[in-house]
Amino acid sequence: MFLRKGKSACLLCALTASALVTSSASAQYKPKDTEWPSYAADLAGTRYRPLNQINASNFNDLEIAWRIKTDSFGDRPEYKLEGTPLMVNGVLYATAGSRRAVIALDPESGELLWIHGEHEGKRGGSAPRQLSGRGLAYWSDGKEERIFYVTPGFRLICLNAKTGQRVPSFGEDGIVDLKLDDDQTISDWNDKREWVPNLETGEIGIQSAPVVAKDTVIIGAAFREGMTPKSMRNNKGYVRGFDVRTGKRLWIFHTIPQKGELGYDTWEKGSAEYTGNTGMWTQLTVDEQLGLVYLPVESPTSDFYGGHRPGNNLFGETLVCVDLKTGERKWHFQLVHHPLWDMDISSAPILADITVDGKPVKAVAQPTKQGFLYVFDRVTGKPIWPMPEKPVEVGSVPGEWYSATQPIPSKPPAYSRNGVSIDDLIDFTPALREKAKEIVSHYHLGPVYTPPTESKLEGPLGTLTLGTASGGTNWPGGSYDPQTHTVYVFACNSCIEPIGLVAAPKEISDIRYIAGVAGQEVEIMHGPGENAGADSPKPPKRRSASTFTRLEADGLPLIKPPYGTITAINLDKGEFVWQIAHGETPDAVRNSELLKGMNIPRTGQTTYNIGTLVTKSLVIAGEGQVTTTSDHPRGAMLRAYDKATGKEVGAVYMPAPQSGSPMTYMVHGKQYIVVAVSGGPYSGEYIAYTLPSAGE
Amino acid sequence: MKRTLLIVSAIVLILSLGLGVLTVRAQAPADSHSVWDGVYTEEQAKRGEAVYQKECAPCHGDLLTGGESAPPLTGGAFQANWNGLTLGDLFDRIRKTMPQSAPGRLTRQQDADVLAFMLSVNKFPTGKTELYRQSEMLKEIRFESKKPAAKN
Repeated sequence: MFLRKGKSACLLCALTASALVTSSASAQYKPKDTEWPSYAADLAGTRYRPLNQINASNFNDLEIAWRIKTDSFGDRPEYKLEGTPLMVNGVLYATAGSRRAVIALDPESGELLWIHGEHEGKRGGSAPRQLSGRGLAYWSDGKEERIFYVTPGFRLICLNAKTGQRVPSFGEDGIVDLKLDDDQTISDWNDKREWVPNLETGEIGIQSAPVVAKDTVIIGAAFREGMTPKSMRNNKGYVRGFDVRTGKRLWIFHTIPQKGELGYDTWEKGSAEYTGNTGMWTQLTVDEQLGLVYLPVESPTSDFYGGHRPGNNLFGETLVCVDLKTGERKWHFQLVHHPLWDMDISSAPILADITVDGKPVKAVAQPTKQGFLYVFDRVTGKPIWPMPEKPVEVGSVPGEWYSATQPIPSKPPAYSRNGVSIDDLIDFTPALREKAKEIVSHYHLGPVYTPPTESKLEGPLGTLTLGTASGGTNWPGGSYDPQTHTVYVFACNSCIEPIGLVAAPKEISDIRYIAGVAGQEVEIMHGPGENAGADSPKPPKRRSASTFTRLEADGLPLIKPPYGTITAINLDKGEFVWQIAHGETPDAVRNSELLKGMNIPRTGQTTYNIGTLVTKSLVIAGEGQVTTTSDHPRGAMLRAYDKATGKEVGAVYMPAPQSGSPMTYMVHGKQYIVVAVSGGPYSGEYIAYTLPSAGE
Repeated sequence: MKRTLLIVSAIVLILSLGLGVLTVRAQAPADSHSVWDGVYTEEQAKRGEAVYQKECAPCHGDLLTGGESAPPLTGGAFQANWNGLTLGDLFDRIRKTMPQSAPGRLTRQQDADVLAFMLSVNKFPTGKTELYRQSEMLKEIRFESKKPAAKN
């Protein structure tokens, strides 16, 4: 008896019978383009809806239709609300709060229709990925409607969409325990430092939204941050498909191959046996017509040191295509051999039907942290444009195994910085450039795939990188306009990260090297949201290794603008259509005494979690940082750009930064945009914007 | 000791208001009372540092630079985040949500000391009186990232 069954809490059920009259399903359900039926709008990962009531002429007129704070959906407020709601069949659904509750709202008024939460106790409180997560999935056969989500404690929950109650016929009373039936025994270290089965604290979970394709629910896996792992051994992040009606496991894909499977030999010295992680923690996409699923896989155990996993390490940092019915691998392409930079494939692959050299191609385009958009034929896996293996620097960290080459896309060009050179440093004034040069002189610099170094007091302290752990595009991913065959993607162009390695004390880790800085106490680092959710324990009393030390020149960013960008990339040609700086110039730059009198164009912002929304005419994205300007009080702006040109056509005020990607829908003739905001002093809130009614 | 401090503070405040004693806090007009007016003492920041290193540094880092687990408590983005709000807002955020595993576990005095330490790291000037321990009173002190222009 290692766990207590989740206690279901369905509140406001008395309201549901009368409140959900609009949601009764009639004929066979087919999503409409006025709805937002899955996390990324559709299974192709487009974040696109062809709506145009809100457009360039009226975006500035948007007003708040409704708003809902998420403080009460957990035993503490949440300041990191990352969800994107669904709106389908007249009801809006979202995950919310530190307990990752599911809420159903009236999409016009925001009225709460029902709420569901699972009280998981220690299992939820010790989960690697806590808080409200990114969202949920909807399924209907035209009669029944179901909502699926995964709890922080890694249980797949199936709810009746009309009532918020668990569906008893699914799994065991509406629950599938995802820590079971996983072709491995989920384990944890005990007090004697033995690796033993433990379903309560065994590390595995997920924060992304499930995906339902046809009658299959597909779930990946996530773990703690991997900069300073306790061990080279961990649970593995396999991907599984489940029957949407019964919860029965239909298939599993081993992201780390088992003996006899393709790729096992890319883990030398038997390292596939103990290495873990290699999960799929972000959104996947599905082509239902082809019956193919596209899995973006993350890094293996130990982000920055791979000496205990020699070899290329399939399917780490690999885009894998599997069969929707069987999970059988169809093709794969490893973006990074022997991962050493935390270049998890971090967002949904985008499915795009394009025309290349006059020929129609069913393509899949993968945005990445390293700023490359990898474009493949999604049937064959063949690159649309050549991706030759090119030599990269081989490092000298003792015991490390290096890949001498990496595939480099020839087209489109990188849309964000993925290496650091002197030319990337701040250059507002010669003095600032000199200061920056002095700071970076303590680090090893180089282009993409410059390997980490040992951190030494005499230098280098580490390799200074861009386009790694939090660079380029992270979990929000990109958007795609199927009309113009254009990808729109936000990127952090200045998320600079030093990667240095220090010998790990035995009491900290059995890995030879972990992330750290010479001369500083070596500690375990924690991931976003870890120990922050409901029922979570106190974090260990250890000081964090300040690997991600603030690198600034006189209070200004070390890297020159643009700090964050949105790029429009035409997939027929593999070329940029436009690129803009997204986000108001930070206060620290705009108000700097050192820059007084200088005319500095908008710089964008250093932030890594901005999702875009594409409509018939606009690209819409909020800001990730707070500013205070002469145009608006302390807050952030939700901005709209002409999608053809990138020209800003409107902006509306938000009380806090965008922390979850925006979505849109139309109900009773009115278009709405809903966005999650939170951060700093502002706890999580979903805000719905709409236009004033006629005559107002 | 705490009571003594409070009494001393109160006397200073009363004296400064009533007798026109030139303390920074009393001298500033009510509408410009901000973190630039010397609202904490060096000693308080030192006390706060000890609490910080024990209770806050595991997530926010020794140097308040944050990390993957928690945001920085110093620097441009942090200051922009709180600019225009009050120390009461910041105090409440700490008091209600920190330490995140056991919100409210620290005393008001400890929270105020940590806040004083944060102000010192962010290079706001020290003064002669300690920070208040009541959020309603702290709401009278604005957090302004930019130093106001000197008034003649």
